[in-house]
Amino acid sequence: TVNLNFLLCVSNCEYMNMFKNQIHTVMSAFPPVVEAGTPVHGNDEVERHLVLVEKVAYSKGLPPEAISVMLEFAMSLRMGTVLCARVLRCLIPATVVPQEAVVRAVVWLGVGKIPMSTQVLFIKWVLTMFDMIDGKDQLRAIYGFIFSFVTEENLCPFICHLLYLLTRKESGKSFSHLRYGPFIQRFPQFYSYSLFLPFLMHLLSLYKVLCPELVTLSIPSRMRWVRNHNSTWKSTLIGVQKRNGSQAASSIGLAFTIKDKASSRKRKHTHLQLPALSSVVNKQPQSEPSSSRKLVPLVQLHSFAQLLENMHHIELPAQMGSLLGSSLALQYLDFVQDESALLRLNFWLGYALYEEFLFCGDGGGFQNSDEALQFLNKLLSTENFLQGGFTSSEAFLYKFLTVWDGSLLRPQILALLSNIPVVPSSQIGRLLFEPLMQLFFTSSVFFKCGLVECLNSMLLKWLTWHSVFCLTLCSALCPRNMTLSGFKDSVMDLVHFVGQLASVGLQLEGCHSLLLSFTLDFYETVCDMFLKYGLPLVVMPPPGVFYPTLFATDPISVDRLAYIMYRYKVNLASAKSQEKLTEAFHISSQTFHEFNHYVVVMVNSLWNSRMFKPDMDLKLSEELLLKSSVPQHWTSFDLIHHPAFMSYAIDFHQKVSVDHIGNRPFFSLPPLQAFLYWCQGALKQGKVIMSLTLSLVPD
Amino acid sequence: MICVLFSSAARTPTNSVVVERRSKSSKSYRQSYRSCVGAASRLCFTPGFTARRLNASRRAPKSHNVTDKVNPQQLALLMKTEWQLSYVTPLYQFRHTQLKSYSRQLSAFIAAEKQQGLAVEVEGAQSSFRVSISVVQGMVEADDDAETVLIQIHSKLLFAKKDEPQRPVWSGWLTCINGNPDYLRSLPEDFTCLPLFCSSGGEGLTAVVKSWFQQTFDCCFGTLEINHTSLQWLAALWTNCHAESSIQHLKMIWTLPVAPPLQVTYTVDPHDAWQLWSSVRKDPREESKGGEEAEEENSIDIEEVMEFMQGLKGHFYRHFRLDLSAGSLKQVTTALGSAKYSGKIKISNSRYMITTFTLLTECALLKMPL
Repeated sequence: TVNLNFLLCVSNCEYMNMFKNQIHTVMSAFPPVVEAGTPVHGNDEVERHLVLVEKVAYSKGLPPEAISVMLEFAMSLRMGTVLCARVLRCLIPATVVPQEAVVRAVVWLGVGKIPMSTQVLFIKWVLTMFDMIDGKDQLRAIYGFIFSFVTEENLCPFICHLLYLLTRKESGKSFSHLRYGPFIQRFPQFYSYSLFLPFLMHLLSLYKVLCPELVTLSIPSRMRWVRNHNSTWKSTLIGVQKRNGSQAASSIGLAFTIKDKASSRKRKHTHLQLPALSSVVNKQPQSEPSSSRKLVPLVQLHSFAQLLENMHHIELPAQMGSLLGSSLALQYLDFVQDESALLRLNFWLGYALYEEFLFCGDGGGFQNSDEALQFLNKLLSTENFLQGGFTSSEAFLYKFLTVWDGSLLRPQILALLSNIPVVPSSQIGRLLFEPLMQLFFTSSVFFKCGLVECLNSMLLKWLTWHSVFCLTLCSALCPRNMTLSGFKDSVMDLVHFVGQLASVGLQLEGCHSLLLSFTLDFYETVCDMFLKYGLPLVVMPPPGVFYPTLFATDPISVDRLAYIMYRYKVNLASAKSQEKLTEAFHISSQTFHEFNHYVVVMVNSLWNSRMFKPDMDLKLSEELLLKSSVPQHWTSFDLIHHPAFMSYAIDFHQKVSVDHIGNRPFFSLPPLQAFLYWCQGALKQGKVIMSLTLSLVPD
Repeated sequence: MICVLFSSAARTPTNSVVVERRSKSSKSYRQSYRSCVGAASRLCFTPGFTARRLNASRRAPKSHNVTDKVNPQQLALLMKTEWQLSYVTPLYQFRHTQLKSYSRQLSAFIAAEKQQGLAVEVEGAQSSFRVSISVVQGMVEADDDAETVLIQIHSKLLFAKKDEPQRPVWSGWLTCINGNPDYLRSLPEDFTCLPLFCSSGGEGLTAVVKSWFQQTFDCCFGTLEINHTSLQWLAALWTNCHAESSIQHLKMIWTLPVAPPLQVTYTVDPHDAWQLWSSVRKDPREESKGGEEAEEENSIDIEEVMEFMQGLKGHFYRHFRLDLSAGSLKQVTTALGSAKYSGKIKISNSRYMITTFTLLTECALLKMPL
């Protein structure tokens, strides 16, 4: 009976152009071809068409003609009941729903072959789409027919709602002389159906307003429809209309009060919502008599002053997850250090993170990354507030790193990673380094920079934690009962790891100056571990970091290397003098040796113009050097000829020849020294001068 | 003889293939993502960095006479129902002694929630839901396991007459069978660990019950699938019982990632399954020679399970040139029970339910965030 021309209808809709061809094939496949009783099971063609229809419906919505055909197809059960519900679920109109289609579908309800759950689904669909139906007159014309479904137990609430929406004064009047008059009069007998009653009463109250002479019952005055029946459709519909830029979107808003937007999202993914801050329902009876003072629920506190006042008799909320949203509560949590409370918070947090990023079977978590972003930001600000990471977020990260693509929410994940507390040396490789190494070598240079920065910030946090807690010898505050040597091992592992990453990373990225800069940031932290953080540990950078920096083409990197070497020297010298006094620790002679070697190399190449001499690390064969025909190749990396400083040298040279005598004090110095001072000024925060004071530390 | 059946309802003669295709192309990306995570999610670290994995070896199911320990009426409530599984994080301040009060609170909570859900707000509508929460005495194995808790909700139907009795509309239970003792002991006393939640009934009520538990005991509920490995375990464990209690058939449903996806229903004759299983067993007789003690320790290794599955797959390949190892197991059914990947389980024979629920408890504990 369906004879709609789909080619026509689809071509009318401009926004459907993209899908025009597909839709045409789909639609032409559905009504005329499908014979009643065609098997659904294993029918790949139907499946393919349906998937396409769903795709269009969820992205753009279906044009009115498509709605008619699909509705007819579904309600006629031409291909059984399974497809019926599935089709109904994707009937999202792009513009309007043709009234005729709805009327015809209601008629199919009367045939009685459709399963009850599907019938309910259909009426819910009509209710949701009510304002999109292009006319109501024909529906009102079959008011009586719709009314007859009121006696259907499961349909009753929805039918009542639908009737409520359809009822007009005239329709009320028309019943009075039709057969429904007596029926309404007999309503009181429905009293026995306790749950059924409210819907009918509500409808009756409307009749009473419209035709008071018909209804003689007393109706309670306080009644209202509470909610709309299907939120999934509604949210999809709003999404579709937003995408289509249709003005119809606003009309929906009027008809259905969107009570809470968050929960109208897919119900499945509610785990990122913070629970409400509420007080405990189940008061522990045994605790009440003993404590004479009254416990104050956290909900009732609104200021820090109130918090201080009630500090010792505060009741934690029923759901600890709610604390994440309240800074006042976090202050209290930081104060109490209650193991159970923290564990509850950790369980909730871990659950939310796992469900969102690890267990999200249908990939739903990644679709609403906006929400995930907000959640992680909130978590980060909490961790920053408490100055430490949560155990559950740590456990989560260890798992997540193995499946992370390195780009999803990168700043947040890296920030969370940097909050990880000290990991024992025995575990650090498996938990952190292995997954990070894989990510590092397979990602862009920006990820590499981000990771090195993150590890630098992790090291800083570890060192700060060490200098604050472990020096006070308060072992209770030391998580994981870590000993000093254990801590040293972990730090050493981390420094070596970054050394390895940076060596290979610099090679892979052609000594990318951004990556080099982040690497040098890291070594600025490392070289001062002893003096700044009191950790008796000095680790030198590997050759893969030292040499690319020494021969870098930008002056800032070379300058920073000189500064780092200078700080190493100060630290080593200080360690040496303390070692003599206390003998509490020992810096291996290997470290001194490495340091001295680097200094010799630096001084030889920059100052003494002894590049490529036999005692240097870098050896090039004589023939090769001759072949290069670089005159005086041994001077090519001294301060004046170094590629990083060449431009300064030229600049300096010009300056000197222009100001002939020179009005600056340092021009009276020997030329090289004058050049260095000048460079320092040119580099603004230059540290080159430091290398002047570099000297060897005896091993 | 091993009989192969494909998913059409009719039983086809051996060696004839009816291949059912079901396109789920829209889900293929999601599935591949899940499988990638599935492997990783088996690893879990407690704060102490101990890696937890699914046990590689477990005791052979013994015919437990659960009826000796558990009230048969209560046991009957747990049987023959298809349960939807969830995992639950430990319950905070849950007391087995206060179940009566919990029942009252939950029924009030349901009434309040239902009131919100109704299209019309009515004053003075009396609660039409009756909740009973009770302990299933004896439904434990190890000393550290918390007692199983059963929740039942009764209600009157909309059109029921006044004197008609209330009918059960929803039931669910929280359990912990042979939970990892190290994990259970690591929890502070305030926490009760009942990691496995089975529910059966309307989704609406399930959501309400879950949300009451969340608000009252500060716990979280997440879906628990029975993954590929666990399903293989169940297939082997159930087959292992055949000598004592007939499994009647071993039916497996596999899906293969081809476009469009292929679903294969593979039904094996119980004797053939048993024979295959016996052949891969690492000489259980030898072990049992050591007397009763050794039989107590009679255990099944993952290698044996894998070998058993390999045998089944190999047989299938010989007949149909289709390698099932490319696909994944979605469902296992025997006369003892059925389990689905989606986390649905049905137990038809109480004698082996302890073994099954030990495995499921383990899966639930693996999902714990800490």
